[in-house]
Amino acid sequence: MRGVCVRVIVWMACLLSLLNAPAALAGDEERKLEAVFIGRFASYVEWPDRPRERFVITLLDDNPFGKLLDDLYLDKRIHNKPIELRYATRLDQVGETDVLFITLSRAAARAEAIDYAQRNGILTISEIKGFAESGGVIQLDFVEQKARIKINHAAALRSGLRIGAPLLSIATVLRGERP
Amino acid sequence: MFSPTPNESMFDRISIRYKLIVLLGLSAALALFISSAFTIYSTYLSESRSSLRVLHQLTDVISENMRAALAFSDADSARAMLASLHADPHILLAVVSDDAGRILAEYRSTALDAGREQVFKQVLRRHAGEDAGAPHGAAGVEERIGDGFMGVLHPIFFEGKPIGSLAIVSDTQLLWAKIREFVLMQLASSLLTLGLLLFFSLKLQALFTQPIMGLVNAMQAVARTKNYRAALASDRRDEFRSLYDGFNAMLAEIRERDDRLSRLATTDALTGLANRRQAMEIMQAMVTRAQRKGEPLGVIMLDIDFFKQVNDRYGHPVGDRVLQEIALVLQASAREYDLVARLGGEEFLVLCESGTQEATVAVAERIRQGVECRRIEHRPGGFLSVTVSLGVYFAVPQPAEARIESMIKAADEALFQAKEAGRNRYVVASTERA
Repeated sequence: MRGVCVRVIVWMACLLSLLNAPAALAGDEERKLEAVFIGRFASYVEWPDRPRERFVITLLDDNPFGKLLDDLYLDKRIHNKPIELRYATRLDQVGETDVLFITLSRAAARAEAIDYAQRNGILTISEIKGFAESGGVIQLDFVEQKARIKINHAAALRSGLRIGAPLLSIATVLRGERP
Repeated sequence: MFSPTPNESMFDRISIRYKLIVLLGLSAALALFISSAFTIYSTYLSESRSSLRVLHQLTDVISENMRAALAFSDADSARAMLASLHADPHILLAVVSDDAGRILAEYRSTALDAGREQVFKQVLRRHAGEDAGAPHGAAGVEERIGDGFMGVLHPIFFEGKPIGSLAIVSDTQLLWAKIREFVLMQLASSLLTLGLLLFFSLKLQALFTQPIMGLVNAMQAVARTKNYRAALASDRRDEFRSLYDGFNAMLAEIRERDDRLSRLATTDALTGLANRRQAMEIMQAMVTRAQRKGEPLGVIMLDIDFFKQVNDRYGHPVGDRVLQEIALVLQASAREYDLVARLGGEEFLVLCESGTQEATVAVAERIRQGVECRRIEHRPGGFLSVTVSLGVYFAVPQPAEARIESMIKAADEALFQAKEAGRNRYVVASTERA
């Protein structure tokens, strides 16, 4: 009896995994696109002049890309600078960076990171819902495998960043910041 | 002998003026046709380039704006951008594809039927496939003009790498409308030019045909009147002047030949005096005139004495020389309006108009003395002299058929008497004998 139950559970698990396979495949595709878009966002953004030899992209907290970013940006250049990828688990590990991809789940921690980014002229990107409204610069999410970009233009200006019109033209732009 | 060729064409039968008009018209038409063909082809090329340039500009602008949408796979924005193309009714299809050839967004004109849409998309897919196999950056802008359409495929680059392409296909109605308009204008201007050329050729053909027709008329007049003394005057300085000069030279040659033939027929070749036939004709005229005026006509027949002996002794060349010298004496002794002729051998005739006895006898005596005194050189430093016997007759001619012969006969008989009387003298014939 017990063996039967185990087999049923195994079969059910297999079936569920098969049912979820397309979604998982779609998720992989979206993740790839997300990884690509991080670099492309940077191409449409102008930073205040800073004497840096490398263009630094930092992931704060979890790394949902695995080795995807390393593979994608190996030997690539943004704004004619070689790319350096950093992975930080805490805000104090971030240091000098150009792009900060935030996966922090806690709102307070995100706010702290956003505040840090604004003070240091850092482009913040996140896929977390409400990120742009809460002061983040670019919020990227996918709906039915279509990318939706939301930009907090005021936050970008506060960070000293200029976002190119082509990017603004395809994004939902927030002109004012909600309290 | 010139004669028309038996297989002469209709063109050979029409007059020169119409030939000129036809040739001018055909030349002008051919020149206009060739020039128009080149111009129309050149216009087609330039208009095609111009139309493609406009399509390139449109594609360039949209590609630039499309880059961000394509970079972030934003189909909605891409569609919104392409939707603006509906403002141009000649744009049939616009497709934005990613680097894998997947269509991100497209615009399709209502004027485009499904069949042609599929054809265009197949072509685009083929190009996308070719470009995908090409190394990065090698894919360039492509253009094509086909049957009723023209298209431009523009790759879209992001950070130096192709991330997709934009293809815009438009119809060629505007291009062909311009070509049609140009062809019609060209046709109208060609017809106008041709008409003007024909009009001027009608007017200007006289420049060429007038001298030719003048020459033809002159030739016909000469052929009709046999007046070879006519000459054509021309103040031209071109080839027609040479033609006129040639014609006048030909007339002069005919005149000269006629004169030469006339001289040969009427004069004695040795002495240059009138021959017997000419003498008889002139004598007839003189007799008629004398009859009409009632004036006498003097006839002198003369013969060189012992001429045979001269020939025998000195030879015929000297005899000929003697005849020539006698002829000179006769011409010098006769009056200006008298006729001197050699009748044959050593026999001469002198006709004296208004030849009274005194006048005729005076001429005869001048001749006799002139001959007698003439020293004829038969060899260098060697001279001889001859004498002549003369028979003189004069009378007012009467109307009678045999009057000329009887007057000559009377003079001849008087000559015979002069010979009989011892030569080197003249004898006046009795008027009753004639």
